[in-house]
Amino acid sequence: MAGVDIPMVELKGIAKSFARRLFVQNRSFALRDVNIAIGRGEVVGILGESGSGKSTVANIITCLTGYDGGTYRFKGRDVGAYTRKERFAFKSDVQIVFQDPYGSLNPRATVRGSVMESLILHRPDLSRAERFERANTLLEEVGIPAEAGDRYPHEFSGGQRQRIAIARAIAVEPELLVLDEPLSSLDVSIQAQILELFVRMIRERDLTIVFISHDVNVVRLICDRVYVMNQGAVVEEGFARDVLTHPQNEYTARLLDAVY
Amino acid sequence: MASLAPTSTDDRPLLEIRDVSVALKTGKRTMVSGVSLDIRPREVFGIVGESGSGKTLLTRTLLGLQDDAFVESGRVRFNGEELPVAGYAGRARKLLGHSIGFVPQDPFSSLNPSMRIGKQITEAIYLAKGWPMGAERTREAAISLMAEVGIPEPALAFNQFPDQFSGGMRQRIVFAIALAQDPKLLVADEPTTALDAITQRRVIELILDRSRRHGLAVILISHNLELLRQSVGRIAVLYGGQLLNVVASGDIGRSTVHPYAEALFDCIPTREKTLADIRSIPGEPVGAGFGLRGCAFASRCPYVVTACTTTDLPRNGGLTPSFSACILGRGAP
Amino acid sequence: MSVLRRLWAFPKSNVERTAIVLGCLILLLALVGAFLVPFDPMKIDFRAKLQAPSMVHWLGTDGSGRDVLSRLLYGARLTLASTFAVIIVVVIIGCTIGIASAFIGGAVDNMLMRLADIWLGFPPLILALGFASALGASLEAAIFALIFSWWPNYARLSRMVTSDILSQKFIASADALGVPTHRKVLHYIIPNAMDVMLIQIALDISAVMLAISGLSFIGVGAQIPAPEWGAMIADGRSYVSNGWWIVLAPGLAIFITAVSFNVIGDMLRRELDPTSRRR
Repeated sequence: MAGVDIPMVELKGIAKSFARRLFVQNRSFALRDVNIAIGRGEVVGILGESGSGKSTVANIITCLTGYDGGTYRFKGRDVGAYTRKERFAFKSDVQIVFQDPYGSLNPRATVRGSVMESLILHRPDLSRAERFERANTLLEEVGIPAEAGDRYPHEFSGGQRQRIAIARAIAVEPELLVLDEPLSSLDVSIQAQILELFVRMIRERDLTIVFISHDVNVVRLICDRVYVMNQGAVVEEGFARDVLTHPQNEYTARLLDAVY
Repeated sequence: MASLAPTSTDDRPLLEIRDVSVALKTGKRTMVSGVSLDIRPREVFGIVGESGSGKTLLTRTLLGLQDDAFVESGRVRFNGEELPVAGYAGRARKLLGHSIGFVPQDPFSSLNPSMRIGKQITEAIYLAKGWPMGAERTREAAISLMAEVGIPEPALAFNQFPDQFSGGMRQRIVFAIALAQDPKLLVADEPTTALDAITQRRVIELILDRSRRHGLAVILISHNLELLRQSVGRIAVLYGGQLLNVVASGDIGRSTVHPYAEALFDCIPTREKTLADIRSIPGEPVGAGFGLRGCAFASRCPYVVTACTTTDLPRNGGLTPSFSACILGRGAP
Repeated sequence: MSVLRRLWAFPKSNVERTAIVLGCLILLLALVGAFLVPFDPMKIDFRAKLQAPSMVHWLGTDGSGRDVLSRLLYGARLTLASTFAVIIVVVIIGCTIGIASAFIGGAVDNMLMRLADIWLGFPPLILALGFASALGASLEAAIFALIFSWWPNYARLSRMVTSDILSQKFIASADALGVPTHRKVLHYIIPNAMDVMLIQIALDISAVMLAISGLSFIGVGAQIPAPEWGAMIADGRSYVSNGWWIVLAPGLAIFITAVSFNVIGDMLRRELDPTSRRR
């Protein structure tokens, strides 16, 4: 692991059952005994097909959803013991970019407004003018011209909307950025553009990344380590170049064989 | 695991498309222009394009399935039979019942949710064979077809409804229905989009296997160039409603292709590439209905010169196995 | 503002343009009409009674000699003010309950919506009669009765719209950012719910107006001599043969207002429907 004492993210024995029903006992779990550790500065991939539980893990890491068993420690502290204040501070430490660029921006807020909102909430020390400027800078950083900031999301393409979502996420300067299938809904030629943006940002901003994907080839490209998930459990983990060329687990091997 | 499908040695093409343009019914806007292609019998052919390239629009219109578009001009000949532009859709749809099988993009919407799948397959068989073969023999034919496409316990599955099956299974059912007519040509439009990687590989192998054993010609439409590169013999590349390249799949990744095909391959992650090998294409994809003169890719092409936006694209004679629409001649055989 | 420019692009036919113009005119009259009256709308003058429309009395006089036009203009304010009073209160109460219900979710949400469903079962007319007998028949009684019976409509509508919005991915994005509830309501729910609510409100303007005039007409709402349009029709009923203008004027006024706002509502529904090409 990238030399660090305490991992930034530590999931131990995480379990989550499917939504409860009143008269039917739950026998199946969305997540079973998931153990994931992420060190500062790493780019860690979580690879799996739909239904593998990878998006649930993303939501748990971001504290968007809870879990039914196990512990989640962020920077050494048990997230379950967070006070209200700590929970809010957590939001500026961990951010997420979702898969669907068409639904992840408020259609009634201007693009700059969406980015400024991050600053309004987490940088109360900034004046409105400073927030405005910073939002413009962030938009430019992700490749959206600042003048376009007054427009609304529907005036942008999928790839551009994804860039805006990224700007909104990094506006709070998070330490950890979770990317939940950020490329899957984009055109092939745009995927490469956004991938390049990620690579540049990881370098320039010293980010720790969790990259959720079903695309083996993309994970292979940018991840240091990878966890392979199948049906709610982690079936294999290790350095990306090891796991993805010499898999030990049978499922991983089948998956790698199948991918074009 | 690259498998290039065997190239065919027959002389006469199964499907001849000459200078076909597709326009929308409302507004008469030309969306796809001047496409010329030949598909040989038993050939496995791929069509690649990003969203908006017109590949689905072209295909569905050629099959007579697109209600809001029509064949504006050009010549289409299937198995020697001419399909005139007037009344094209009706004639094309008749072929769908006999000689062309179609697997659409979304398997869920093409299955009748309230009809047992066995019945849907037997209906297809009835329609294709003309005279009913008798209920028992038709049922047996359906069951063996289901076994062939890999549906487990076909006798039981026969009586089940579509919603009792997973996505991958439904795709196979739709495939079985398409094969029930014993077609000469199978057209599959993004048959694997909603499927996981392992099922995706199985479905593609199924199609290729069927083609090899029964001499079925296949047109495989996908946005996944790498998938096509490993599966088909020749690939047609569509962009902005223009046919820019027809190329042997083995040539992808070399410089003997159209600049767009080259750029497209350069930006996809594959098994062998490292991060340094990936080169993105600047700008946004151009949609079909590109109304300007010249090449639709000009705005994003690294080799672009003025002539690219002022000269008409070269036409595909259709007689050579490969073709490039590059005004600069890049990728030309 | 660009909003107004967008609004003006909405009408696609002359009928719709006329409806917008009329709607604005009516609203204008409701505001300033009372100051434009040529005659005192309440002044009784039996010598001038039942005069046909003329150059002096544009719409004639009624059975007590009052100028119909003046009463109409004055009544515009009564009718429309009470309509808007009902709508504003109903929207505030209904939406507060509906939005809160959607946010709280679970059993509380279920209960509140079932309550709203049951409440809708109250027949407004019986309620109005009840209020009238308790408070005395008056415009106020009619207003209360309508508020009482109408709020569940907005509770259910706003709850449904809010639920829809809350299920969208940009709300998850807001949660990831730690957006507090009040900001969510103000910046996420209300702006995205506006379209649907606006359509309903426009359509309800004519519905409520008809209800108020209707109640006044049958006697449980505004009472004569108040020049509320419905009451005016009731008053003019006995003079239909020799004073047709007394009934026609308020009747036409009600008709034109109701139809105009209905057309505007339909136009808004067509233009603002989220299932159309706008994303």
